[in-house]
Amino acid sequence: MTYPRTHAAGRRAGTTPSRDGGRPAGGVRPQVPPRRGPGGRRVLAALLVLGLLASVLPWWLDTPAGSLRTTAATLTAAGRITGLVAGYLLLVQVLMMSRLPLLERWIGGEQIARWHRDLGATLLVAVLAHAALILVGYADLEDKPILTEAGVLLRDHEDMVSAFAAAGVLVLIGFTSVRAIRRVLPYELWHALHLASYLALLLGFGHQFSNGAQLFRPGPVRTLWIAMYVVVVAALVWGRVVAPLAFNLRHRLRVADVVAESPDTISIYLTGDRLGELDLLGGQFFRWRFLTRGCWWQSHPFSVSAAANDRWLRLTVKVVGAYTRDLRDLDPGTPVWAEGPSGTFTAAHRTGDRALLIAGGSGITPIRAVLEELPPGSALIYRARTPADVLLHRELDWLAQARDVRIWYVIGSRNDPGPRQVLTPDGLRGLVPDVVRRDVYLCGPPGLVAQSLAVLRQAGVPRRQVHLATFEL
Amino acid sequence: MRRALLAITGLAASTTAMVVLKSGPGASQVAQELPAAGQPVAPAPDGPAPTDGGAGPEASPSGAASPRPRRSATRAPATRPTAGATSGARLPSAPRTSSAPARPTTRTVTGPVVENEYGNVQVRITLSGSRIVDAVALELPEETAQSDQRSQQVDDRYSGTSGLVVQQQGADLDTVSGATATSTSYRQSLQAAIDRAN
Repeated sequence: MTYPRTHAAGRRAGTTPSRDGGRPAGGVRPQVPPRRGPGGRRVLAALLVLGLLASVLPWWLDTPAGSLRTTAATLTAAGRITGLVAGYLLLVQVLMMSRLPLLERWIGGEQIARWHRDLGATLLVAVLAHAALILVGYADLEDKPILTEAGVLLRDHEDMVSAFAAAGVLVLIGFTSVRAIRRVLPYELWHALHLASYLALLLGFGHQFSNGAQLFRPGPVRTLWIAMYVVVVAALVWGRVVAPLAFNLRHRLRVADVVAESPDTISIYLTGDRLGELDLLGGQFFRWRFLTRGCWWQSHPFSVSAAANDRWLRLTVKVVGAYTRDLRDLDPGTPVWAEGPSGTFTAAHRTGDRALLIAGGSGITPIRAVLEELPPGSALIYRARTPADVLLHRELDWLAQARDVRIWYVIGSRNDPGPRQVLTPDGLRGLVPDVVRRDVYLCGPPGLVAQSLAVLRQAGVPRRQVHLATFEL
Repeated sequence: MRRALLAITGLAASTTAMVVLKSGPGASQVAQELPAAGQPVAPAPDGPAPTDGGAGPEASPSGAASPRPRRSATRAPATRPTAGATSGARLPSAPRTSSAPARPTTRTVTGPVVENEYGNVQVRITLSGSRIVDAVALELPEETAQSDQRSQQVDDRYSGTSGLVVQQQGADLDTVSGATATSTSYRQSLQAAIDRAN
């Protein structure tokens, strides 16, 4: 198949021509990185689970067997358990968003985002259950109506006003994160509300220690609980301030060029200092902040669309909204603030030596970068809506030769006969007979990802061999 | 979303399981109270024994974290006039050997554990002759920060060598406002101790 050259159409005036399809740069770095294995991620996950158990343990030890004989005692006990769980989960939620390099590279930003969403729902339920159970339990104990008891809690118990406020903030955050609601909200509003979770952390702090049955007494439990707060705040400072500052002072990234890849897709080339020392794997992403008048206050994650080399970095972006439209007009020399790299969608996280890559639309960008570092012999299925939407095809042609990659371009929408035939278990096996033994790298629009996951499951590909680059929020 | 549901279900299930595991039939709790409640009046030589019998099993599950020993320990040296009464273990021998025969011996009497919705209350009084010279709360509700605070108020008002108990020489004490239940239980245990002493 051949495709018309699509470059010229969307290029902004005055931009230098593409670097000939971004042929791999002079630095010949791309080589297959050693496998990392799932050990690190498992250790971190196990630590988080152990922490959860440890945070409920004080209640377990403090409560003699057989001591919960009244309804009030039972309700209050359940309220305490959920309170401890909620306190711990809130810390984990904030920790996961701390951008700590360790977490970003071992668990990966995409996976963290998924955990964060699922834990967020759990946290919300735990907070509400905690408040409700304690309220009802105390009301029952003192034989008062629930509303009166709420008044008593707010008036007579220390730090309870701020605790109720913290719960309110968390409910608001949880509510606006429900997918259906989130979609109709402007991103900025959602983001601002999410920033308020730091407020919840602060407001909810006091009541745990002034009223928490397991925490109000000085002792090891209280000390450890405070230590957890210290750790999380330290991680925040490190991940959000110190590490990015060090990275950006070291590499000083700036825009070198903006190039049109297709009518609605651009590539941004960046240069900087000491790029050869970047600890970057193909398929990883940074959170980019372009320091221009209109863009500096927004940070967006984009994958790099080529493996690391010592001359440039590149991200390839589909123009879908006001922000990405502005990116077309970036001037060379614009400073760029980057946080990262992050992600486990890399050749280092493969489980075997052969891979199948499935890309949809602009999802090709991280795949193109991974492909450069995978061992030879991979297969790529690339679905694009029209021939004009095929991105980076000259680089793909080059990779097909240099890395022995078999590439199938599937043109048409997901529901056209061609793509539908390919995306079936039989279709996949027809193209890649050994698909069950391959790592599968999957990146594309949500519909394609969901459909591919289902097909891969039917075809019998173990889930741990499947790598996702979507944030799936 | 499926994982979130799973996590929420897990949270609910494990919370329920833990509460159920800790609720039990309550047999052990009843057994703990029986010896204390049915304890015969304990004059001085036996003083420490029922105290241990009554308070021991109660205190042990909460372990060293319980502040009760700390409270009585900090109060004791500051407020008690007679060193002999401070330590229950030394009590039987110390006054008798070291003091003059004319001086009345002190003895301690421990009241039963009285339970209310917030926890248990147990009072021990020290008598010199028939006069109450000291009152100590062996156990007070302290499970929540607030009941701990209330217990502290009750303890401050009632207990000690200059507390209300010693001033009134009886169990007819004013209720500490905001701590009715604990005050009442305190008086019940105190009254029983006085009854035993006489």
